[in-house]
Amino acid sequence: MSETRTTMERRRSRQRVGVVIGLVLGAIFAAAPVLWMLASSFKSNTEIFELPPRLITDGFSFDAYAAIFSDPEKVRFFVNSYVVSLSVTVLTLLVAIHAAYAFSRFDFAGKRPINMVIVSVQAVPPITLLIPYFGIVVALGLYNTYPGLILTYMVFTLPYAIVMMTGYLNTIPKELDEAVRMDGAGSMTALWRVLVPVSVPGIVSVGVYTFMIAWNEYLFALTLTRTQDMRTVPIGIQLLMGQHSYEWNELMAMSILGSIPVLVLFLFFQRYFISGLTSGSVKS
Amino acid sequence: MQDVIVAPAPQAATPEPPRRRRPLSRTAEPYGFLAPTLALMFVLMIIPVVLVVGYSFMDNVILNATPELVGVDNFVTVLTDSVFLTATGNTLFFTVGSVAAHLVIGLCFAMLLNSPLIGNIPRAIFRALYILPWLFTAAVIAVLWRMLLAPNGVINYLLSTDVEWLASPALALGTVTFINIWAGYPFFMVSLLAGLQGVPAQLHEAATVDGASAWQRFWNVTIPQLRPIIISLTLLDLIWTSQQFALIWMTTGGGPVNVTEMLSTYTYKLAFSRYEFSLASTSAVLVLLMSMVLAFFYVRHQRAGD
Amino acid sequence: MSNEAQVRRRIVQAAGVTAATFGLLAVAGCAGGGDSGESGGDVTIEFAQWWEPELPDGEFRALMDEFEKQNPGIKVELISGPYAATKEQLFAGAASRTMPDVVGLDGAWVSDFASQGVITDLSALMEEAGYDDSELASQVQVDGSTYMIPVVNFVYPMFTNDALLADAGVKAPPKNRTEFAEAAAAVTDLGDDTSGWILPLSLETPNGIQNDVMSWTWASGGTMLADGGPDVTNDDVASTVDFVQGLWDDGVIAPGSFTMKEQDKVEEFTNGRVGMMIDSLAHINLIREANPDLEFSVSAVPAEDGYEGERGIPYASWGIGVAESSEHPEEAFKLIEFLMSQETNAELSSIAGAFPGNKTSTPDFVADDELFADAFEIYQAGYPANEFTGLPVAEQLMRLFGEQFQVLLDGGQTTEEMLDKTQAAWEAEF
Repeated sequence: MSETRTTMERRRSRQRVGVVIGLVLGAIFAAAPVLWMLASSFKSNTEIFELPPRLITDGFSFDAYAAIFSDPEKVRFFVNSYVVSLSVTVLTLLVAIHAAYAFSRFDFAGKRPINMVIVSVQAVPPITLLIPYFGIVVALGLYNTYPGLILTYMVFTLPYAIVMMTGYLNTIPKELDEAVRMDGAGSMTALWRVLVPVSVPGIVSVGVYTFMIAWNEYLFALTLTRTQDMRTVPIGIQLLMGQHSYEWNELMAMSILGSIPVLVLFLFFQRYFISGLTSGSVKS
Repeated sequence: MQDVIVAPAPQAATPEPPRRRRPLSRTAEPYGFLAPTLALMFVLMIIPVVLVVGYSFMDNVILNATPELVGVDNFVTVLTDSVFLTATGNTLFFTVGSVAAHLVIGLCFAMLLNSPLIGNIPRAIFRALYILPWLFTAAVIAVLWRMLLAPNGVINYLLSTDVEWLASPALALGTVTFINIWAGYPFFMVSLLAGLQGVPAQLHEAATVDGASAWQRFWNVTIPQLRPIIISLTLLDLIWTSQQFALIWMTTGGGPVNVTEMLSTYTYKLAFSRYEFSLASTSAVLVLLMSMVLAFFYVRHQRAGD
Repeated sequence: MSNEAQVRRRIVQAAGVTAATFGLLAVAGCAGGGDSGESGGDVTIEFAQWWEPELPDGEFRALMDEFEKQNPGIKVELISGPYAATKEQLFAGAASRTMPDVVGLDGAWVSDFASQGVITDLSALMEEAGYDDSELASQVQVDGSTYMIPVVNFVYPMFTNDALLADAGVKAPPKNRTEFAEAAAAVTDLGDDTSGWILPLSLETPNGIQNDVMSWTWASGGTMLADGGPDVTNDDVASTVDFVQGLWDDGVIAPGSFTMKEQDKVEEFTNGRVGMMIDSLAHINLIREANPDLEFSVSAVPAEDGYEGERGIPYASWGIGVAESSEHPEEAFKLIEFLMSQETNAELSSIAGAFPGNKTSTPDFVADDELFADAFEIYQAGYPANEFTGLPVAEQLMRLFGEQFQVLLDGGQTTEEMLDKTQAAWEAEF
């Protein structure tokens, strides 16, 4: 008896070593390039390309960051990105949850074609949509406005959010909400009292990704805005890639700063990814 | 807003068995739920797409003030262009390679992060590290990897080589695929991690009691549970990866020669380098048709799952 | 409550979500699109360009403020974007008739925009305004009418790393192709990751074909055109292609050419890993700032052995044009006049590190700076040459050439095949 326990413990600890090695290798793959980016943001432009490369150089400084924070125009890029991305995230989730509920729990005429259209139109290369799209946005008076960008991003994030939310809702046993409905509650109650709380991890992951798409989008942000006070962070980054030369360190610094909001969002919400929240309710 | 939505349904009015009135509610309700989506998608997506489809049947739009219908001429031109065929092949390689790797890596990392064998704090740290590639806009990813992979870059320095990762015709396609794999796996990882939370622990316990090995449990319990999510993810990733533009454009521009030419870069060049906007629209319509095939299978699967 | 009412209620709830969505957006809309109206009778002209972000902070705006002071009643709104995306943005604007009034142009786009009727005939505007164009260094014409005026020009001489050349035993910058090939080989032989020359051939921005390849042809007085049509199979171009291929085969060109861009080229030179490059004068200050210890000189691009004639020197322009759809063409032209005036043009040239588009302007740096003075001498001794300027789909022509050139360098075809295919591809575009 005690012998088997020791073998089991030994096996567990061997497994743990395996898991840790796997995690560390994965972390190098994922994080090393970003580490290099971070290191580069503290270098001077020449040091970024020196041979042999060094992680920390003599010219180590926060100059690149200071240059960004001291430029009100660049700070404004961040404000714009926040306004747009947060609005897109909230609105997309709200709209997508309802649509996904319809697809997951109802049968109705036109369900398949509608679903198919929603899924497939996003495959049209955005670059070709640019010109007709631009015309429509101008015609609607949304050119160079927040709603113009917000609605645009919703169009690009909704299909994704709906597909994913439908997927999550489909993993939840139907008996769960059927039971509530049997008790006489309406669809809205079933959705918001039962399904939504159970799918929080899914909603959070869709939300984070939606935010990220909106935060990082470049092509339409550039086309649909005109004035410097409406531009977003990706355009600010691109502006550092000049006709003749790049501001490498500022470019890296701005990218690092640009990545922080998504990271913070993820860290803040990551407890929802941790086991225990949903498994309890799904079990029943 | 939430107050409005969760307003409790009236309790008093349910004397009849609920089944009888369901058909009625089922016909009307889902359209209400879909209304905002449909309104938005119609104005800002369907109309532009229809316009693009229209362009594909005309001679050069935008350049010409009065474009004329030319039937399927544009389709013939594009489909017989050898570069289009090369681009289709490259896109296929790039897309399938990327998506398969995204799935495998995403699932591996999600399983590792979900492992009960590590503590919560290391888990949180690794989770944060693993999503890092996710945080950057495509232009930055392109610039970063160009820097890392340059002949005099860090990677060649560490490997003591001077390989032209992006500039060599033999390696370029593999290299851009690798970069895209790096950039895209966290999408799978995070979504699968969320999905893994939904796998009931009891199922695993029951399987363990039945004497299933870890591999069998993974294959017979975890995977079937994740199946709906995996299918949604794969579909989306196939569609997105097939239209990846910025990353390829800014790393190789479709070169060397045309070994990394994708449908997206091909379309771009038609539109903005040759000003053949109708041909670009035609190429876009062909991409749309290809993804409609994917969408068809997805929708069919959705129904089979019901 | 009846069942129907309950159903109705649900629909209303769902509709509420829709309404709330759009309501929220409307609120955001009011917050966002506030200040675009024109202020009190003034004419506001929009000026789209990529120059402002390229120049030191605030300098270009200051010039515009000066313009506004000199021309009361006209306001200039600068619309600045990244260079790489300027063309698409203008194209999208043109398609939906929302072009800015005044636009920054690259010589490679002029023909395309002019033939689409996107930019207006400047010859007509000049005549209307009674403008004397004798001071203009050059004008870019399509079908006999001017569509773009180069405001400042960035010339592309040869940069040489003095220390590397000296180490390799090369006493003076090479003057002809043979000397260049020898110097390049000698620098490469120094080892330690150094290369003699660097050649960016990225297909994303294929201007390496113009600046780093065709410049060799122009430097020897050659041409790639005949009667306005393509003629790349001629001896001028063939000898250039053979020469570059020879350098390639000798291994004296820095690795990574096929995806390299102009910006990468400069970084390698700045870090002292490349002996020679053909590059924009705009980079002089950048290189000095980034690596103050680097000693380098500029000289004319080497010509064919024995060539004694005038040398064409490639250049890239910041050009300017007026949108066809502009409602204020007169005011727009006033801005052009202002930018082309002796004083303003000299000032802009000075801050941009470029040569003026006004013949009578003398930028400060010509007097103060030895390297710029050298370059100015080269510039004046030769003639500005850029045969891509004003050609239709110029960028596409460079790309087509670049693709075939890559196949050639990769060993996939002979020079003759390469030139024949390029000729055919170009003819299809003309």
